[in-house]
Amino acid sequence: MRKEKLAVALLTVSALALGLVGFGTAASAEALPTDLNIMLETPVESLDPQIATDGTSFEVIADFTDGLMQMDADGQAVEALAETYDISEDGLTYTFHLRDASWSNGDPVTAADFVFAWQRAVDPDVASEYSYMLSDIGQVVNAAEIIAGEKDKSELGVTAVDDKTLEVKLNVPVSYFLSLMYFPTFYPVNQAFYESVGDTFGTSPDTILSNGAFIMDSYEPATTAFHLTKNDSYWDADRVQLSGLNYQVIQDSQQALMSYQAGTLDTTLVNGEQVDQVKEDPEFQTIGAGYLWYVSPNMAGVPELANVNIRLAMSQAINRVSITEDVLKDGSIPTYTAVPLQFSAGPDGSDFSADQEKYTDVCADNAENAATLWAAGLEELGISELSLDMVVDADDAPQKVAQVLKEQWETTLPGLTVNIVVEPKKQRVEDMQNGDFQLGLTRWGPDYADPMTYLGMWITDNNNNYGLWSNADYDAIIAECTTGDLCTDPEGRWARMYDAEKIVMDEAVIYPLYTQANAEMMSSKVTGVEFHPVALNRVYKNAVKAE
Amino acid sequence: MDKTAVSAETYVPVDSDFRLKNNADEIALDANFAAQGFWRDVFIRYVRKTSAVIGFFLIVIIGIMAIIGPGMNEYTYSGQELSQKNLAPRIPGIEKTGIFDGSETMSTTTGSKKVNHYEENGLDDVYYWFGSDMFGRDIWTRTWEGARVSLIIAIAAAVIDMLIGMSYGLISGYYGGKTDIIMQRCLEVANGIPRLVVVTLLLLVLQPGMVTIVIALMLTEWIGMSRIARAEMLKLKEQEFVLASRTLGAGSFFIIFKEILPNIIGPIITQVMFSIPTAIFTEAFLSFVGLGIPVPQCSLGSLISEGFNSFTTHPYQIIPPIVVMALLMLSFNLVADGLREALDPKMKEM
Amino acid sequence: MKKYVAKRILTAAFTLLVILLVLFILMQLMPGSPFNDEKLNDSQRAMLYAKYGLDQPIYIQFFRYVGNMLHGDLGVSYKISRNTPISQLIQTRLPISLFIGGFAVSIGAVAGLILGLIAALKHDTIWDSIATVISVIGVSVPSYVFALALSYTLGFRLQWFPMLYTVQKSMGSSVLPSISLSMFTMASIARFTRTEMIEVLGSDYMLLAESKGISGFSLIFRHALRNALIPIITVLAPLVVDLMTGSLVVEKIFAIPGVGSLLVNAIQSNDYNVVISLSFIYSALYIIIMLVVDILYGIIDPRIRLAKKGD
Repeated sequence: MRKEKLAVALLTVSALALGLVGFGTAASAEALPTDLNIMLETPVESLDPQIATDGTSFEVIADFTDGLMQMDADGQAVEALAETYDISEDGLTYTFHLRDASWSNGDPVTAADFVFAWQRAVDPDVASEYSYMLSDIGQVVNAAEIIAGEKDKSELGVTAVDDKTLEVKLNVPVSYFLSLMYFPTFYPVNQAFYESVGDTFGTSPDTILSNGAFIMDSYEPATTAFHLTKNDSYWDADRVQLSGLNYQVIQDSQQALMSYQAGTLDTTLVNGEQVDQVKEDPEFQTIGAGYLWYVSPNMAGVPELANVNIRLAMSQAINRVSITEDVLKDGSIPTYTAVPLQFSAGPDGSDFSADQEKYTDVCADNAENAATLWAAGLEELGISELSLDMVVDADDAPQKVAQVLKEQWETTLPGLTVNIVVEPKKQRVEDMQNGDFQLGLTRWGPDYADPMTYLGMWITDNNNNYGLWSNADYDAIIAECTTGDLCTDPEGRWARMYDAEKIVMDEAVIYPLYTQANAEMMSSKVTGVEFHPVALNRVYKNAVKAE
Repeated sequence: MDKTAVSAETYVPVDSDFRLKNNADEIALDANFAAQGFWRDVFIRYVRKTSAVIGFFLIVIIGIMAIIGPGMNEYTYSGQELSQKNLAPRIPGIEKTGIFDGSETMSTTTGSKKVNHYEENGLDDVYYWFGSDMFGRDIWTRTWEGARVSLIIAIAAAVIDMLIGMSYGLISGYYGGKTDIIMQRCLEVANGIPRLVVVTLLLLVLQPGMVTIVIALMLTEWIGMSRIARAEMLKLKEQEFVLASRTLGAGSFFIIFKEILPNIIGPIITQVMFSIPTAIFTEAFLSFVGLGIPVPQCSLGSLISEGFNSFTTHPYQIIPPIVVMALLMLSFNLVADGLREALDPKMKEM
Repeated sequence: MKKYVAKRILTAAFTLLVILLVLFILMQLMPGSPFNDEKLNDSQRAMLYAKYGLDQPIYIQFFRYVGNMLHGDLGVSYKISRNTPISQLIQTRLPISLFIGGFAVSIGAVAGLILGLIAALKHDTIWDSIATVISVIGVSVPSYVFALALSYTLGFRLQWFPMLYTVQKSMGSSVLPSISLSMFTMASIARFTRTEMIEVLGSDYMLLAESKGISGFSLIFRHALRNALIPIITVLAPLVVDLMTGSLVVEKIFAIPGVGSLLVNAIQSNDYNVVISLSFIYSALYIIIMLVVDILYGIIDPRIRLAKKGD
């Protein structure tokens, strides 16, 4: 009898014993009451500034790393590690003068750290996904050639004149170049440290070097909880009032809200369903997230969608107000322009897309007009029925929006049938890039605070021009604004970009839906958290938490 | 030598040489133990078990509701009415008693409050028996539509996996030796690969939909069936009736499917009954991972995972699909238990 | 016996190799790629493929992978945590999953045995029905619904257990996830225990034991349960593996850094090495446990034991 018991115990309890191995390995950083407890929806993908691509990773990297510039509360670029900077008259040379700052191992931050990091960003061996920030967008000399493998990375147009002086050369003047400097791809990396840790760079507290407001003291790749402590040797340490940051990844929004109510979190995201529960709470707020959600029709692959009346009809048949107010409920704003709201300020400081009624004749919630255009389109095509597939991500929000779109289209446009095809995001992107789709529900987040981050997508043969739309006039305007004469004329460039946007809207190249916002709870004890739609979504170093 | 003479001319019997023996009164019929067929026996044993009968009727009722339920009111399963979203259950007649009157208690972060969206929005003549979901779709209609989809998927998957698993197991067990070893190694490989990987892959490669889900379920469920079939085969194949059949020149396939199969149909049917709830459950899991039936179609699983998102806000949305699912699982389990006991004479005395 | 064990281990190793090959082929069939972020262009993608050797023919990739694996190198993650070695990625996650899975199996097995015993001993009474209903609810309510309900009541309202998993309080915060996970095991074990016990209780040797005057506790635990255990272990063994690796839903809800959610993320983001490594670990666990069960049979099987004892 004892033997059988032993046998059963072996099976079931050995697992238990096995499980106990490995416990206690995790660093147990004690959370202090003045630590800010932050909820994340997704785990960090990478803490290597040149490898990271997602908002979560960027946010965390910026907690412990400073770049040349940083964002102020309004999202304007202000000096960080650069104490001062000079711009040459032709706008092609930027000279940054670094302040005295040090890495958490005691090494000073030098111009060479930036040169090393930027060369990594364009190094084909590193294969940074954001290398185009230096080439197409930043227009740093030789970046494009190095990425293509035509030149050596040492030829990149960035040089360390001395320890404290960094000189950058550009191909053409780039009006928003300073605002790129707070983007993590441009953050410095200490070469000696990087080479000492090799491939494990950025995977544990021991392999992460900080020069920023906080120091990482517990972290594992793709972990669900990690902690940072205030960096006392930070150059701006006097302004940092939090004792640390305590991150918790919670993928289930109901658990997150309960944890917030229980006091284990100081801030959390809430989803649309929960807004009803919290909308009367003074701690509830909605924050613009910058993402534009839109439907991309495949104009090259589906002959019916090549018809402009069909496209205009579909765009106008959408009731965007209903989508944001009845379904999403998270503060997202209905959008009737190709460039979303609230992320790009022009030469006079105004929002590029502040006027949402600019294209009312071609893009509005106008079911009546849609039906007329639809009838005209069907007649031109000589058909009476049309069935289209729409690919959407397997996430919660896109599926909800897709179901409403289907219903709105099918009730407003007689003869139209829309089938929703749900796919994991990776596959949806692959299908759209291969042109293997009919309609696609997708989103795009701004990489830098300029409308070109959107308008640049629809030039001929761009990778993200999923509908394979091509318009010579449009291409010419974009070229003029990026590398042509208008580079040095901010007002003229601004006006010209509206001309480009009008072409996109007139031809209904995309059906814009809404500018995404996040519904959040923020404890009343906490003030000073800065939110931005571009690059760094949340910045904590100026936050204060009352005890 | 008369005798030799008679035997020499061969006598051919004719019909008139025979007559029927009127023995109707003579044959002693066993009056105590009526002679009856195996299946009649099974039936009697089955109906004697109350829980099994209850299970059977529950399945029939849910089946009927799955057919007629969606047509019982004016709503369709996909029709949205965003102005009537998230309404609590309200049933004409019963509403006067205070339950199912369309009011719900919302627990908000600033305290809980009782609301009745019907009255607030002036929807006097509007009734959602099970409430409406976040798109203003009728949960009653969607629950029964979901039950229909789940039942079709589960039964199709169970029957197909029975056919495949059974044949595989029977053949592997019957031939034995090298065939068996190779077939069992293949099975081990198939079983060793995590189902999630296989199922996800399949759902990505094929167009999402009911057929794909059935194939996905079938691919992962046949293994259990084949194990049972093989075990039964190993038990039976050395028995005399098989030997007899083989001596009489029967081919292998005849023996497997005509001689042995009828003898093991009991455990197989029981296994099918058990695999139906498993299939319903697996489909629910796929829905949660986002690989279930494509929206706006629904299954019980997808309804549960939709309702899950408003579990703490509007709990009434998850209750109908969960209850129907639990009842379905319960009744299939009861029927399976009943069948197993009815089919297995060893257990009939219990 | 030794020869048998050796042969079994050899075939298991071969099976694992075949599984690895099949996994490789499946990865090739998988649509999408780890490097198809909207922001990447074609030449960058080609570069990434070349960097990780994904542009090589599949058989070269396969042999290279097997070679690396023999050195304990499982490759690096492409997407979930870029360039992180897989061994580093799973070294802290696997023990957590194994622990919670083991915990869940223990709870489920004990509760299931008790329920099954009650149902069998009080066969066809109200107790039987109650036990059946409890165990059927266990299989018919998805574990994520259980998880959230438990978290809401025991975690949020009553505050008995933490709502989220934390490494600092790994014991206390494993309770809720383990209970939610154990439901399915409990139900299956209860069902099988009931069936097996009914069969055993009706057998001749039980009648004999009873007529010998053995009764009550001893009769049930010494004689009946022992014989019922064999088929129960057969059911339990694969459940152990499933629970240890397939708890992704519960992991998501309780924010557990385990391997289940990692596998799903990896599949959906085409992180080939992670999928292959985790699947392979799963298969290896599965095959090893099956092997152990086979050998355990020899220990538990009463015929073998009785023969030894000369009873």
